[in-house]
Amino acid sequence: MTELNKDLFELQIADDSQSEHIASPQYSYWRSVFRKFFSSKLAIFMMVLSLLVILLSIFQPMFSGYNPNVTPNINRPEMKYIRPNSTYWFGTDDVGNSLFDAVWKGTGTSLFISFMATFITTTLGVIIGMWWGFSKRVDAVMIEVYNIVSNIPATLIAMILAYALGAGPWQLIFALSVTSWVSTAYFIRVQVMIIRDREYNLASRCLGTPTWKIITHNILPYLISVIMTSISRDVPSFISYEVFLSYIGVGLGQQHASLGRMIQQYSPYMTSTPYLFWIPVAISALISVSLYIVGQTLADASDPRTHMV
Amino acid sequence: MNDKEVLVEVKDVDITFKNGKRVFKAVKNASFNIYKGETFALVGESGSGKTTIARAIIRLNNISAGEILFEGRKISGKLSKEDRTWVQRNIQMIFQDPAASLNERATIDYCISEGLYNFHLYKDEADRQEKVDKALNAVGLLPEHKSRYPHEFSGGQRQRVGIARAMIMEPKFIIADEPISALDVSIRAQVLNLMNKFKDENGLTYMFIAHDLSVVRYFADRIAVIHNGRIVEVASATDLFRYPIHPYTQSLLQAVPMPDPEIEKAKQLKTYDNKHEEESEEDGSLQEIVPGHYIFMNEKQRPEYEAKLKEMMNTSVSS
Repeated sequence: MTELNKDLFELQIADDSQSEHIASPQYSYWRSVFRKFFSSKLAIFMMVLSLLVILLSIFQPMFSGYNPNVTPNINRPEMKYIRPNSTYWFGTDDVGNSLFDAVWKGTGTSLFISFMATFITTTLGVIIGMWWGFSKRVDAVMIEVYNIVSNIPATLIAMILAYALGAGPWQLIFALSVTSWVSTAYFIRVQVMIIRDREYNLASRCLGTPTWKIITHNILPYLISVIMTSISRDVPSFISYEVFLSYIGVGLGQQHASLGRMIQQYSPYMTSTPYLFWIPVAISALISVSLYIVGQTLADASDPRTHMV
Repeated sequence: MNDKEVLVEVKDVDITFKNGKRVFKAVKNASFNIYKGETFALVGESGSGKTTIARAIIRLNNISAGEILFEGRKISGKLSKEDRTWVQRNIQMIFQDPAASLNERATIDYCISEGLYNFHLYKDEADRQEKVDKALNAVGLLPEHKSRYPHEFSGGQRQRVGIARAMIMEPKFIIADEPISALDVSIRAQVLNLMNKFKDENGLTYMFIAHDLSVVRYFADRIAVIHNGRIVEVASATDLFRYPIHPYTQSLLQAVPMPDPEIEKAKQLKTYDNKHEEESEEDGSLQEIVPGHYIFMNEKQRPEYEAKLKEMMNTSVSS
């Protein structure tokens, strides 16, 4: 055993700042969101799937130039009702057009309508919901608006508007989003009321922070995951709404291809040539489910409580 | 005591909360002065209205009667924009729960410079950085903490961020709403010493809200005891602990445990029955019994309290 001597020891100065040091790596909100999102294999698969569908629906119609009113093969019976094969992947329909072209054109229209309606609903809903949650005077008015709107079936309003405004994608977007923002705003209002009077907001008030800055810096960041949840619910629900409205014949006119229009148009062939009916239905279900799962996973990932560990 | 300059004057303040038709009077006819450079403590049980008064001074609650003056200027009720700014610049608050009072989605840099941004109290970005660094340094935190988020800190560190955020505004008056009750016992002294350091360096005045009497005894110069929204006794810290006259103060002081089993065993507990306050409910007011020592009473109760005080003085002199 070596003998103890001075050389073995080293003088250490006590340093209080050492105990203040935080050893964990730097936290970044968005990096944590992406790490959490990409840790889910299902979400990655669904995201790839929905991206594929979105890209196909944007670019495929550009090459095919599909238009439901252009029917070059209408007098060639040999071109009609061709079952899916290597040339016509999804087969051909009752007028001899390729269903593959028709489906992607229709998906594009349906996605466009759904995304636009979601965008309008969310933007209006968040802005008005914030205002609604903060101001008592706005609350008194808006709560009555909410009571009225939520007690009239939204389908009825959309149907009446679709009839009154005529058929077309923009009219349909208006009909879908004209009342749906109210429920988003109500949802946001409740969330704002929950966190509005938390102590850190009182602290900001003591520091002289104006209300708009409290909204943008203190409230909105807390609502990211709530807003994400609302978006991930709205997108698939607007897709099925469009399908439903077009199916009952009040959505889009003859000149527009959309998933709903196709399902309505092909429903008589459900038994004779079932692929005509089931392929649009399957595509509609596929994008609804994949977008919903992507949205929900993103909503979960954007909640910082899931970032720990 | 009276030659000192009055900084905050609370005059006959009532605070009521309305919920539909139900009206609840949280603070009844509160009056007290806070002198420049002192630490004024407000003690009382939960729900007695301590925080409500503090929030009324910093304008988070509205008052329904009376007025509050700061440096002789009225700061209650409707104010002009300049007056509001003036209040926000000069009065700051340290909150009870450091976990709840910091914005979890903002960096420490933003949390501390929030007040600077609001009043543009810096020349340029470099000046702001320097001010934040200085504030962090003053509370014993490191400049590297600026890019961190509140949840990464310990309770004591978070409370020091809260102090730095208030101090960077260079206020004259700070309201500390139970600043240490949510903290671990081992770091309470650290936060109190920090507050004392700032008081000496910057000539601050504190209003300290607490329910922990042993802390108040160490920290405060003058103490007001509040019960059910009514201030029942105001005295200097030494007087209040030596001659607690109001029965509520007596029972409150008795509740402090003694670190001696023999004394604890022999202690006769007094329960407060609210009788004294009920008697003086109608015609009572805060009256000076000896200079600087105020009791809530009516004229009938006065001789009783005076006798009590005399008795206490005699026993303390003889023993």
